[in-house]
Amino acid sequence: MANINATPGESHLAHHFVDSEQQFDSSKLGMWIFLVTEVLFFGGLFVAYIVYRSWNPELFYMSAKELSTIMGAINTVVLIGSSLTIALAVRAAQLNQQANISRYLIATILLACVFLVIKYFEYTSKFAVGILPGELYTYTGIDHPGAPIFFSIYYMMTGLHGIHVIIGIGLMVYLLVKTRQGSYNAAYFTPVEITALYWHLVDLIWIFLFPLLYLIE
Amino acid sequence: MSSHEHHVIDLKYLLGAAAGLIILTILTVGASYVEIPRPFDLLTAMALAFGKATLVAAVFMGLIWDKKINTMALLFSLLFFFLMIGITLLDTLFRDRPFWIYN
Amino acid sequence: MSAATKDFKIREFPVEENPKEHYLNAASGLKSWLFTVDHKRIGLMYLASIIFFFFVGGLLALALRLELWEPARTFMDADTYNRVFTLHGAVMVFLFIIPSIPAALGNFFLPMMLGAKDVAFPKLNLLSFWIYSFGALFTLYSIAHGGVDTGWTFYTPYSTSTGTAVISMTLGVFIMGFSSILTGINFIVTVHKMRAPGQTWGKLPLFIWSLYATAIIQVLATPVLAITLLLLIMERTLGVGIFDPALGGDPVLYQHFFWFYSHPAVYIMIVPAFGIISEIISTFSKKTIFGYWLIALSSLAIAFTGFLVWGHHMFVSGQSELSTIIFSFLTFFVGIPTGIKILNWVATMYKGSIDMKTPMLYAMMFLFLFSIGGFTGIMLGALSVNVHLHDTYYVVAHFHYVMMGGTVFAFLAGIHYWWPKMTGKMYNELWAKIASVVLFIGFNVTFLPQFVMGSQGMPRRYYSYIEQFQTLHQTSTVGSWVLGLGFIIVGIYLTISLFSKANKASSNPWGARALEWMSSSPPPHHNFNHTPVVLHNPYDFHKPISEFRLGIDGSDNHHEHTEVAQTQPAEKS
Ligand code: HEM
Ligand SMILES: [Cu+2]
Repeated sequence: MANINATPGESHLAHHFVDSEQQFDSSKLGMWIFLVTEVLFFGGLFVAYIVYRSWNPELFYMSAKELSTIMGAINTVVLIGSSLTIALAVRAAQLNQQANISRYLIATILLACVFLVIKYFEYTSKFAVGILPGELYTYTGIDHPGAPIFFSIYYMMTGLHGIHVIIGIGLMVYLLVKTRQGSYNAAYFTPVEITALYWHLVDLIWIFLFPLLYLIE
Repeated sequence: MSSHEHHVIDLKYLLGAAAGLIILTILTVGASYVEIPRPFDLLTAMALAFGKATLVAAVFMGLIWDKKINTMALLFSLLFFFLMIGITLLDTLFRDRPFWIYN
Repeated sequence: MSAATKDFKIREFPVEENPKEHYLNAASGLKSWLFTVDHKRIGLMYLASIIFFFFVGGLLALALRLELWEPARTFMDADTYNRVFTLHGAVMVFLFIIPSIPAALGNFFLPMMLGAKDVAFPKLNLLSFWIYSFGALFTLYSIAHGGVDTGWTFYTPYSTSTGTAVISMTLGVFIMGFSSILTGINFIVTVHKMRAPGQTWGKLPLFIWSLYATAIIQVLATPVLAITLLLLIMERTLGVGIFDPALGGDPVLYQHFFWFYSHPAVYIMIVPAFGIISEIISTFSKKTIFGYWLIALSSLAIAFTGFLVWGHHMFVSGQSELSTIIFSFLTFFVGIPTGIKILNWVATMYKGSIDMKTPMLYAMMFLFLFSIGGFTGIMLGALSVNVHLHDTYYVVAHFHYVMMGGTVFAFLAGIHYWWPKMTGKMYNELWAKIASVVLFIGFNVTFLPQFVMGSQGMPRRYYSYIEQFQTLHQTSTVGSWVLGLGFIIVGIYLTISLFSKANKASSNPWGARALEWMSSSPPPHHNFNHTPVVLHNPYDFHKPISEFRLGIDGSDNHHEHTEVAQTQPAEKS
């Protein structure tokens, strides 16, 4: 093989890479470019948000009042916490602390679930009063001709974000299983690292969603 | 070529970033209760959000210690997002206003 | 990025002619194709799918042209006509032309030109092919369920109210978008991280530069298409109303979103074609490419400016007057990098020893046809002219000159150029030349009259027309038959070349200098039996070819040869 400086024992090295650093850098760059696509994917919704807010500032003000700032704030803190724990999981992998990788992954998964549970309560309380997206919207508490548009955007944004949270949980469960099998260590932790990047992006998007949706004065 | 070259982020940075994020969150919520005239309320909220985003990207995502190309990728995505929104606003904000040449 | 500088010996690796073992017979059976991670096989699978969909789209086009034989009904009703032109457009754009050059030829040659064994993420590459196929199934499903009658642009509000299969169609396009994104990510990372030792950015073949620029557009624009279509699907299923005025939405916003993707997407279609033309013109002029950096960087400039002009599709949509003026102004700028490329190609040929082989013939046709397409694009970008020409056959002629006259002719040029490398067989040069001339004539007979009709006011997407246009329409229809004939000839002689035994191709039939020609035809499973090393620019025709066949000494498991002892630091960034 044309492996010009294969280090012995690099079992994770795929055949087409020269060395594991090249492999690690490639995966990481690949993930970052994927995150670029995520930014533009959500970007479309942010554009819709900005356009409609600039057209209906009063509507956005009235609608945001319907959302619970407390729940939104708690969820913000929850996601920040989960970002910290996944960063610690990466650190544990780098330092070869097997038990800690699992522990931090579990903590992250739990926090992600807390986020979803809170979101669930938020959604159901809105559904109960007829605040549903688009055509299904029946709520009468907001007196504005374009009333449904804020919540259409709200559901699209938080829904899509929620799907990303669920995907993230799936990825971390997979990591957890692999960690238990001893797959990750100081020499090889690429999947942990790039999943963490993904998870931080989920956090980043929420950091913008929170003030934009909940805190309009 | 061994993985020992990878930067292990110091614990104090991770915890510091987390603390900073919590503080900024409290500030964000607090600011929303203060009467700030438009559009500065939105600008404050966005400035705080960008501060938080920078912390996450720089520390948690490790961009400070990472290859520059990854930072560039992130900045590019923002650039193109701003192009998208900026150019779209040229339409939506000026829909009903005839262009001065035609008057 | 591996900053470490290592010392190693390099020597020449002569190329094995007509090898017994190569990627095509490295494994056999259907599974060895469907589950392969070999970028070459994946490229060929894309090629086959793309040709299939080109055939489907082509049949639909022939049907459209035939219907337009008579001013009123010829053989289908107006409703069917609407569905047929929608399917023609959607199939040609999303299933054929977007994946065409990057996914088929790009997949095959990008790693080879970089001297890599594969793309950075081979499994992702395979996944991307499956996703493409899966998305294509949705499209076929919607064809079976009555098709779609919105036009390939799926404009709201019609697309949210029509009774046709919009959801399955847009879902298919949504899914194929992911395939396009994954290919883009793969290519960007591969170009950054997998270049052969010594291959600096300044020594990249221009085809690579063009694929790199294309990949950037794919990555930045396609997600916006995804969210747009998702919103459209949501609008149809849940009535979220983001584009529906009755629910507080705005249909023009749909057009912004759609064209934010789709104008850059026309550069996804044409920029790889530019790359092929650069390779071919240099090779068949036997001359260093003129203005290497200008051509390389103008691809990136096109990628960037392409994001600023989408509103030229919306001049009469009701967007603000301010933005129409700005969009029109910016549109003229995209002409500049494109013009730079054309000038450099012509300057490359100047005083070169030009060899009019089939690929070069296609490249010449490309220059001619694409220039017409580009100039008419600039015309359409002029605000006042556009108000007259928008939604007429003039636009139809414009985009066929760039997409078919440009991209498809470049694709044909590329297929002929690389055919010997991909298959190890040489096609019949005489028939290839005849076919190219038939195609060229057929193309112009089909589309030149459309400029005339359009400027006289013949609207596009119409099933009937006033009698005044009949001669022009019939000329155009006859042209479409000539085009069809041309493709049949191409299909026949290429197929024959695959099965005949006497026409084995040599490893470098054109005397090119880029890395893919320094491997055997067809290439071995891992592209090279050694790690290639690059010293020169791939267009340095004045340097001996032996200096383009270097590799790291000892990096192969083959027999020994005389050593060209040299020590060379490997640098990558
Ligand atoms: C020289 C650069 C180009 C310019 C300035 C340009 C300009 C334009 C303009 C202004 C229109 C809108 C016409 C109208 O609907 O009123 C248009 C339509 C179109 N162009 Fe171009 N164009 C250029 C290159 C290309 C290329 C390279 C492609 C594809 C490979 C392309 C594909 C299309 C398509 C598909 C449409 C029609 C879209 C539709 O409404 O269905 N153009 N072009
Ligand atoms: Cu355009």
